[in-house]
Amino acid sequence: MRAMAVAFLALVLAAVLTLTVGVREGGFALLWQALTAFDPSDPAHIAVLSIRMPRLIAGLIAGAALGMAGTIMQAITRNPLADPGILGINAGAAFAVVIGSLIAGRADNGLMAALAFPGAAGAAVAVFALGGGLKGDAGPVRLTLAGVALSAMLLSFVSAIILARNEALEVFRFWVTGSLAQAGMRPLGYMAVAAVFGTALAITIAPRIEALSLGSALARGLGTKPGRIQLGALVAVTALTGAAVGVAGPVAFLGLLVPRLARRVGGHVLRRELIASAVLGAAILLFADTIGRIVIPPTEIRVGTMTALIGAPMFIWMARRLRAGASA
Amino acid sequence: MTGKMNAKMTAGIRGGLILAVALLIAIVLSLMIGQIRLSASDLWTGLLTGKGPGALTLRVLRGPGVVTAIGAGAALGASGAIFQILLRNPLAAPDVMGFTSGAGLAVVCGVLAGTSLPMPLLSAAGGLAAACAVAILAIKRDGSQVPITLILVGLGIGFLTTAGNSFIVTRLPPEQAAEAQRWLTGSLAARDWGHAAQVFGCGAVLAVILAIQVRSLGLLELGDDLATGLGLKSNRARLKLAGTGVLLAAAGVAVAGPVPFIALMAGPLGMRITGATQPGGRIVSAAVTGAIITVLADLAARSIVPGLQLPAGVMTGIFGAPYLLWLLSREMEAGDI
Repeated sequence: MRAMAVAFLALVLAAVLTLTVGVREGGFALLWQALTAFDPSDPAHIAVLSIRMPRLIAGLIAGAALGMAGTIMQAITRNPLADPGILGINAGAAFAVVIGSLIAGRADNGLMAALAFPGAAGAAVAVFALGGGLKGDAGPVRLTLAGVALSAMLLSFVSAIILARNEALEVFRFWVTGSLAQAGMRPLGYMAVAAVFGTALAITIAPRIEALSLGSALARGLGTKPGRIQLGALVAVTALTGAAVGVAGPVAFLGLLVPRLARRVGGHVLRRELIASAVLGAAILLFADTIGRIVIPPTEIRVGTMTALIGAPMFIWMARRLRAGASA
Repeated sequence: MTGKMNAKMTAGIRGGLILAVALLIAIVLSLMIGQIRLSASDLWTGLLTGKGPGALTLRVLRGPGVVTAIGAGAALGASGAIFQILLRNPLAAPDVMGFTSGAGLAVVCGVLAGTSLPMPLLSAAGGLAAACAVAILAIKRDGSQVPITLILVGLGIGFLTTAGNSFIVTRLPPEQAAEAQRWLTGSLAARDWGHAAQVFGCGAVLAVILAIQVRSLGLLELGDDLATGLGLKSNRARLKLAGTGVLLAAAGVAVAGPVPFIALMAGPLGMRITGATQPGGRIVSAAVTGAIITVLADLAARSIVPGLQLPAGVMTGIFGAPYLLWLLSREMEAGDI
C-alpha cells in the first residue's frame, strides 16, 4: 500500500513538472494562477492551459495505456520481453492511421486516428500468428523477432508515405518515434474514452487472465474459457494501444519497463498490478517527456526517443537473463 | 562420385551465371529508369562515344550511384554471410545485431562534432564498438555465449543505437536533420565517384584479407575440436573473421548508411541460387546477391513515387522484413529457435 502511495505521489509530481517546467520559466505560481484566476489576456496563462494541458492529458492517456497494455501482454504470453512497441502493435496502429490519411487524400486530421484500433488489432493478431503464439506458448525469442520484423516493415511503410508526401520532420517524428509535442492537435477526448474502455475491460478480466497463466488445462478446470479470455485481452490491448498511439504516436519500451516495477508495487495480484502499471506508466512517460524537453534547450528530445534510451538497456539486461530453455 | 561432383559444379556454374545476368539486368534497368527515361541504345551510344544523354547519365547522374550501390551491397552481403556461417544461424546478420546502426551512429556523431576524420574510419569505429558491446554483453554468467542470446542482445544494441541516432538528429538544425534522417534510413541519393572509389577501395582491401581467412572459416565449420586438431587457434580465428565482417559492413554503411536487411537476405538467397556450400562460394554469392538487392532497392526507391527520391532503406525495410518473418516461421518448423 505504501509503494502504491509513493507511485501515486510520483505521478502527481510528474504532472506538476509537466505543467510548470519548460523553456519559458513559469513556475508553480503561474500554474496556480492560470488554474484559479485564469486571465485570457495573459499569454503565459494561455500557454499553460493550451499547450501544456493537452500535453499532460496526452501523456496521462498514453503512459497509463501503454503500461497496462504491457502488463496484460506479459501476463498472457508469459514473455518478459512483450511490449506493444517491440511486438509491432504500435507500428500497426501508426501504419493504419497514416495509410488512412493517404487514401482519404488529406493530412491526418485527428479523426483518422480511429483507424489506430483496427491497425493495432491486425498487428497483434499477425504478430502472434507469425511468432508461433497460436500453436501453444510463443517463446520470447520468436515473438520478439516476429515483432521486430513486423515493426520494421510497417514503420518503413510509414516513413515512405510521410517522406513521399514531403511532410515536416515533426510529422515524421510523431509517426515513427512517438512524441507528445503535437498533443494539442490530437483527438484527446475520443482516445481517453477508448483508454477508459480498455482499462475497464482489462480490470474485469484480470482474474481470469491469472487463471489462464496457470496453464490452459487448469484454467478450463476452473471454469475459464481460454479462447474468450485471449479475445478479451486482445480487445483490451487493442483499445489501450490504439488510444496511446492516437495521442502520442508509437512510443516503444514503456510496456517493457512498467510491468516489472508494477509487480513490485502491486504485489502479484494482476488487478493491482494493472492499476500500478497505469500510475507508473503515466509517471514515467511524463518524467521522460519533461527531461527530454529540458536536457538540451532549445531543442527537445521526443518522448519516444527518451523511452527507447531508457528501455533498450533494460531490454539487453532482460535478454541476458532469459534462460536457455525459455528461448525454445 | 565424380559424376556427382560434376553435376554440382555445373549447378554452381549455372547459379553463378544466373546471378551475373541478374546483376547486369539490375544495373542496366537502374541506369535506364529515373526521372528521365533512357533507352538501352542511348546508354550504349553514351558508353561508346562519351556523348549525349547516355554519357551524362553514366558519368554524372546515375552511374556513380549505381556503382556505389554495387559496392555497398556487396560489402554488406559478404559481411552477412561471414556472420551467418560463423554463428551457424541465418538470423545472425550485422544489421539484425545492431552493428550497422552502431556504425551509422558513429558517423552521425562525427558529423555533429565537426571532425575531419574520414567516414569509413568513423563507421568502422562505431561498428566495432557495437560488435564488442554485443559480444561482451552476451556472455552469460557461467561464461557461455549462445547465438540466440547474441542475436537478442544485438537487437537491444540496435534499439539503443537507433535511439541514439534519433537523439543526435534532434540536435541538428532542421535541414541537416532531414538529411541525416534520410542517411540513417539508408540512402544512395547524390552519390559521386568519390563514394564509389571509397567503397571499392575499402572493399578490395578487405576482400584480400578475407580471402586469406576463408580457409579458417572452412575449418571452423567442422567444429572446434576438429579445427584445433588441424592446427587452428579457433578463438583467435573467429575473432579475426568477425573483425573482417564488421569492417566490411562498416565500409558499406560509410557510403550508403545503415541500409537494413541486405546483409540478412543476401547470404541465404545467394546460397539458394548458386547452391554453394563452401564458405568461399557462399560469401561470393552473398556479395553478388547483396549488390543486386541494393541496386534494385535504390531503383525502386527512386522510381516508385514520380519526382521524388525515397531512401533505399525504406524499400529494403518493406521487402526485407517479410523475408525475416518467413525465415522465422521456417526456423520454427525446423525447431531451431
